[in-house]
Amino acid sequence: MGRWAHRTHLTGLLLLAGLPACREAGRAPPRGNLVVTDDAGRRVALAAPARRVVSLLPSFTELLFAIGAGDRLVGRTTWCDYPPAAVRVPSVGDGMPPNVEAVAARHPDLVVLYRSGPNITAAEQLERLGIKTVLLDLNLLEQLGPAARRLGMLTDRRAAADSLAHLMDSLAAQPLAPGPQSLVFIVWDNPPIVIGAGSYLDRLAALAGARNVFHDIASPSAQVSIETIAARDPEFVAVLSDSAVPPRYATRPEWRVVRAVRAKRFLFLPGQLFGRPGPRVAQAVRELRRRLDQGP
Amino acid sequence: MKYLLLAVAAGVTLAAAVLFGPADVPLRDIMSSPIVWQLRLPRAVLAFLVGGALGVSGVALQALVRNPLADPFLLGLSGGAGLGAVAAIALDLPGPWALPLAAFVGAVSAMALVYRLGLTGGAELDPRVLLLGGVAVGAFAAAITTAIVSLAQATELRNAFLWLWGGFSGASWTTVLVILVYAPLPLGILVAAARPLDLLALGEEPAQYLGADVRRLKRLVYLAASLLTAAAVAVAGVIGFVGLIVPHLCRLVWGRLHRALFPTAFLAGGILLAAADTLARTVVAPRELPVGIVTALLGVPVFAFLLRRWTAS
Repeated sequence: MGRWAHRTHLTGLLLLAGLPACREAGRAPPRGNLVVTDDAGRRVALAAPARRVVSLLPSFTELLFAIGAGDRLVGRTTWCDYPPAAVRVPSVGDGMPPNVEAVAARHPDLVVLYRSGPNITAAEQLERLGIKTVLLDLNLLEQLGPAARRLGMLTDRRAAADSLAHLMDSLAAQPLAPGPQSLVFIVWDNPPIVIGAGSYLDRLAALAGARNVFHDIASPSAQVSIETIAARDPEFVAVLSDSAVPPRYATRPEWRVVRAVRAKRFLFLPGQLFGRPGPRVAQAVRELRRRLDQGP
Repeated sequence: MKYLLLAVAAGVTLAAAVLFGPADVPLRDIMSSPIVWQLRLPRAVLAFLVGGALGVSGVALQALVRNPLADPFLLGLSGGAGLGAVAAIALDLPGPWALPLAAFVGAVSAMALVYRLGLTGGAELDPRVLLLGGVAVGAFAAAITTAIVSLAQATELRNAFLWLWGGFSGASWTTVLVILVYAPLPLGILVAAARPLDLLALGEEPAQYLGADVRRLKRLVYLAASLLTAAAVAVAGVIGFVGLIVPHLCRLVWGRLHRALFPTAFLAGGILLAAADTLARTVVAPRELPVGIVTALLGVPVFAFLLRRWTAS
C-alpha cells in the first residue's frame, strides 16, 4: 500500500514536470535536427537533447554508452549488464513488458524501446504521461547503424554516433563470403530450435567466415528435426552459453547421431557478446573467428 | 476383420514413417543408416505407442466420468506436468532425464490431488467432483507455473513451454523402452476392466446390481488411465486431441463395447499419431511442425465426417 501510494505520487509529479516540456516542443520549432522518425513510423521531436534517458533493451544501453551518452542513462533493464558502468544505472525491471510506473518514476525525458506489441502500448502510456518515447527495431546487423544514428541525434552525440554507425553499416554491407567451415546454432533441444537466415547470428557467422547450415530457412529461428541437423552435418554446434559445459542433450542417444555433437565440437558463445546485436559486433566476429580456428 | 484392417494400416503407417524423412536415405541403406535406426524407427514406434496409450486412456476416462468431453489431460495432468517441467528448469536439475522425470512427477502429483478431492466427504469419485477438481488443480498448477516463468531469470523457461506442447523430437530407444516397460500394467488393468466398464455405462447403481464392484472399478480405472497418460507426458509432452477424438471415432465405427474399444482405440491412436508425426517431419522440411497441429488437422475432418454420418442415421 505504501509503495503504491509512493509510486502514484511520483507519477503525478512527473505529469506536472512533463507538461511544460510538451508545450515547449509544440511552440518552438525543434532546434537543429532533434527530430527523427522511429521504426513505428512516429515522428519523435525533442526541444533539447535528451538528458535523462531510460533504455529498455540491453542493445540500446550498449549503443548509448558506445556513442558517449552513457552518463545520460537514468534507467535500464535487469538484462543490461554491459558495459560494467551500466550496472550502476538504476534498474526499472526486466522490461518485458515495461513497468510503466517504474520507468516514469525515473523522470526520463526520453525512453528508448524495442518495437514490439507490448512496447508500443507502453510507449503510448508513457506519451500520455508527457514522456517522449522512441521505438526502434534491433534484430539484425543492418539495423544497428540506423539505430545508433537516431540515438545520436536525440542525445546530441551525432559525431560519435555517425562514426559508429558508419562502422556498423560497412560491416552490414560486406558481401557474404562464407568459408569452408559450417556450423549450426542450436538454441533449444526438445523440440530442436535452430537459427535461420533472418537473424543477427546468421550474419555474424558469415562475417566470421562460417556457413550457417540453416541459412536456407528465411525466418530468424525455426523448429527442425534432429534428422535434418544430422543430414546437414555441420562441423560445429554453436550454443549461447556463458560456461564451457556441453549441453545436457549431448549425452542423449538420439542427439549422438549428429556428428558434431558426438565429437563434442561445441562453440560456447557468451550471451553478453553474442546474444544480442550491439556495437561490439566487430569484436563478436573476431571472437567467433578465433573459436572456429581454435576448434572446440 | 476390423483388427486386420487396423493392423495393415498400422504396418503401412510405420513403414512410411521409416521410409520418409527430411534426410535423403537411399533405399538400399535403410537397414544400415543410423538416421533410420537411431532416429526414425524409435520415433515412429514411440509415436505409435504414445498414440495408443492416449487412445486407451481416453476411452477409460470417458467411461469413468461418463462425459464425452473428457480427455486424458482433463484431470489436471497437463497442468501438473507443466509445473514439474518448469520447476526442473528453474531449479536447474542436472541430468538428461530431469525434465521428463519432473513432468511425470508433476502429473502424478496432480492426479493424486484430484483423486484425493474425488474421495472427500464420502463421495466415491463422483464424476462431477473429478471434473471440477481436475480443472481446479490444473488451473492452480498453471498459475504457479506462470508465476515461476515470469519471476525467474532463466531464459530457457520460455522453451519449457515448447516442450510441453508435445512432440517426438526426444525419441530414442531409451524412451521406447521406458514406455514399453511401463505401459503393459495399466493397459492390462484397463483391458481386464472392459466388461465392468460396459456395465458402468448403464449408471453406477445398475452396474452395482449387475455385479460390478463399482467402487474398486472406478479407483482402478482412474489410477491406470492417469498413470498411462503420465507416462505419455514424460516421453512426449502434452499431446492433446488424440485421447479425445480417437475414442469417439472408434465408438462411432465399431460400437460401444469396451472389449473391442480398447484394442481398436490403441491401434487407431497409434496410427493417427505416427502418421501425424511423419507429416510433421516431412511436409515443411527442412522445418518441422509441432505434431499437435497435424493431429488436429488430420483428425478433425475425419471426426466431423463421422459425426455427420452418425447424427444423420
